[in-house]
Amino acid sequence: MSEAQTTREAPPASTPGHVGESVVRPDGIPKVTGEFIYSSDLWAEGMLWGATLRSPHPRANIWSIDTSTAESMPGVHAVLTHEDVPGRKMYGLEVPDQPVLAWEDVRYQGEAVALVAADHPETARRAVEKIAVDYDVLEPLTDSEEAMSECAPKIHPSGNLLRHVRIRHGDIETAKADVVVEGEYEIGMQDQAFLGPESGLAVPDGRGGVDLYISTQWLHVDRDQLAASLDLTPEQVRLTLSGVGGAFGAREDLSMQVHACLLALHTGRPVKMIYGREESFFGHVHRHPAKMRYEHGATKEGELVYVKARLVLDGGAYASSSTAVCSNAACFACGPYEVPNALIDSYVVYTNNPPCGAMRGFGAVQACFAYESQMDKVADALGMDPVELRTKNAFETGSEIPTGQKVTGPVPVAELLERVTDMPMPEEESPMGRDLRELPGGVSNVTHGEGVKRGVGYAVGFKNIAYSEGFDDYSTARVRLSISAEGPLVEVHTAAAEVGQGLVTVQAQIARTELGVEQVVVLPADTSVGSSGSSSASRQTWMTGGAVKAVCEAVRQSVLGKVREDIEDTPGDLRLEGGNVVSRDGGILIGLDELLGDESIEETREFRHKETEPLDADGQGDAHVAFAFAAHRAVVEADTELGLVRVVEIATAQDVGKALNPQAVEGQIEGGIAQGLGLALMEEIQTEEGKVHNASFTDYLIPTILDMPPVKAEVLELGDPDSPYGLKGVGEPPTISSTPAIVSALRDATEQELSRVPVSPDQIVGIAKKPPERPPQPGSRSPEYPTTTTIQPEE
Amino acid sequence: MPVPPAELTAEFAMETSPEGEKSPREQIEAAKQAASESGLAREAGPETTVLAGARAEVLEALLEAIRASLDAGVRTIEVKVEAEAEAARFD
Repeated sequence: MSEAQTTREAPPASTPGHVGESVVRPDGIPKVTGEFIYSSDLWAEGMLWGATLRSPHPRANIWSIDTSTAESMPGVHAVLTHEDVPGRKMYGLEVPDQPVLAWEDVRYQGEAVALVAADHPETARRAVEKIAVDYDVLEPLTDSEEAMSECAPKIHPSGNLLRHVRIRHGDIETAKADVVVEGEYEIGMQDQAFLGPESGLAVPDGRGGVDLYISTQWLHVDRDQLAASLDLTPEQVRLTLSGVGGAFGAREDLSMQVHACLLALHTGRPVKMIYGREESFFGHVHRHPAKMRYEHGATKEGELVYVKARLVLDGGAYASSSTAVCSNAACFACGPYEVPNALIDSYVVYTNNPPCGAMRGFGAVQACFAYESQMDKVADALGMDPVELRTKNAFETGSEIPTGQKVTGPVPVAELLERVTDMPMPEEESPMGRDLRELPGGVSNVTHGEGVKRGVGYAVGFKNIAYSEGFDDYSTARVRLSISAEGPLVEVHTAAAEVGQGLVTVQAQIARTELGVEQVVVLPADTSVGSSGSSSASRQTWMTGGAVKAVCEAVRQSVLGKVREDIEDTPGDLRLEGGNVVSRDGGILIGLDELLGDESIEETREFRHKETEPLDADGQGDAHVAFAFAAHRAVVEADTELGLVRVVEIATAQDVGKALNPQAVEGQIEGGIAQGLGLALMEEIQTEEGKVHNASFTDYLIPTILDMPPVKAEVLELGDPDSPYGLKGVGEPPTISSTPAIVSALRDATEQELSRVPVSPDQIVGIAKKPPERPPQPGSRSPEYPTTTTIQPEE
Repeated sequence: MPVPPAELTAEFAMETSPEGEKSPREQIEAAKQAASESGLAREAGPETTVLAGARAEVLEALLEAIRASLDAGVRTIEVKVEAEAEAARFD
């Protein structure tokens, strides 16, 4: 086990490094100094600038599009509509339901309608304004419950229900509980808020194909969708990853990729597109807002007997990865707790709100806020310590999630809770007379200590690693070992997207460790090598790390085979170390430079995790590869008069299996907590009738360094038996349970119910308006659920 | 995470008749409405709809959509049917 505490100095780092060492990332300093080249910095001789006309309406029919004025403007080289899409007119990560350019209907505010290429970005912008679109504006459908009603207008021909995951586990009918606790919870629409907006450069190759330099999470799925819409073969569409300014799920779908390629192929000129911050809010998917109704039953001793849950996710206008998010929300709806009986219905629906899809935590975030809030409620109803309740019901190795899948490998839920509980609490000084910076509201000079109350809250979360439900998930790596002027050189080539998580560093560490060569170059990710899958689902270090490890092992075998061919009577137990072939006793048998000379060894391997299976009609099946766990303790202070909050400290414990780069693990933990804090307290895309009110970083608030508290982190390395080096994905768990821990602490401080995140000041003060009562809609409410909230007294 | 393709996918593209009783837009709407009732349809272009699902239900829905298109005045319908061996999601 290693420990990290952000209040002390960073751990010593080295470059180059091996697996398990903290390594300085090559992009770190250039990003801080502004020298890093992002995809928005790309430039090509003679390039044009692309711009997009977007619908101002969340729902409308298009009667006509007049591009003539825009086309006649000096400097304008192309104005394109849906008629100019040569191939498939739709795209989509799971279901191709989103028009490349709208033709008859627009289904959300910001939907792309037409494109312009011009010799200057300002000319392109003005030309976009000159495109006349005749809209017949319709009333948008923006309530997810209403969208499920039979009388609601259909947003897509298939209807509004995109997926329903139904889980029936145990025997809910006969389950008897002493205490029943119900609750309704809501989560707002969070944005990934990456700092580098969508951008890229498309360059026609003069032979009908196109090269695209792009920020993305999954090069090959982008390529395949592009080829279909451009009516080209996949070989004619080549993608190279450019500098990515964050992703968090928002770059899994196509955005400007297809538009830039269309314009480039149409004009025969390179075309660059960059979204500004406002356009970026309309250019990518967001975290699904959710409404969740829960009922927990427990014995008076505090053992969970059953959970009923109904989760409704708002998918917005297009599918993106909504069906998988819906499944995750269902699978993890009960938390990492033993629940013998569960009845779970998870729905995701189309509305005229902004499209939602992948975001860090991917369905587990929504469910965790609800089930952890329920655990606090159950503890309260039983008069039990909330940590004790969690520990009593905590998963162990062999426990089953409600899909019937057994959780294998280390499952340290109780240990994680114990660790965060045992960490020393931050000192509590009287709020009166404190430095303003240490009070809620800070230097805004609001409270001087009056009305400030402290609270403590706990939460545990878990989530799957990698892709689920039978998806053929794999990653490809190619490695070449040769001799350069500086000695042995390893070149690692994959299509895995470095999105800021430190994958480039990890690939080099693995190659150094496996091949004993210090000089390692990680080549740019592109589509000339096989797919690595997406940098998402906490999977890339496991999958591409696994592929790099596997291919390095193959290269090592080739080297040792050559040794045995070239040298007689070689000892049996050889390894590569320090650029040499070394025998068991450490003696150098031969240097790689001498062995290889001008030759090189190149191998390519695919790495797959164990197979998963789809869920059956009752939501049963081994749908997931592995699970990762984290626990959080939050200490907060709330100004109970003004509703302002200061998070004093977050303590966390997380099992990462094996920390390949401990410093990067620490970064993931801190970053994930920041995103969880944002969801708890400030981050929400505000919509009204489908229109976004806060598409800017002035109005959409994200945590800054002033909002982030010190983080105490304990990192467990318990080793997963099925993964390379025993590692587990680390990126998502910090986000999942940090949010409910903070809200739990706020409840402790304020004694308010706080059933919605982000928590607003009026909730904290206790003057928040409740949503208006609305009669149940047909089909919108399961008969299994009572409409009132009751806590049954003990017998 | 892309999902496996449906067991059967049928894409039908209509060529509207300007001389029909109904306007071209109404002709397309009629066909889309019929396809929509199956719950299997999604748009694929201004005059193109895709039906995806299990073999039997796609074929049934396709026939209904073609019938509705012809009744509405459409005179030419181009149909492309693709079958897949594995179709877990849409079964």
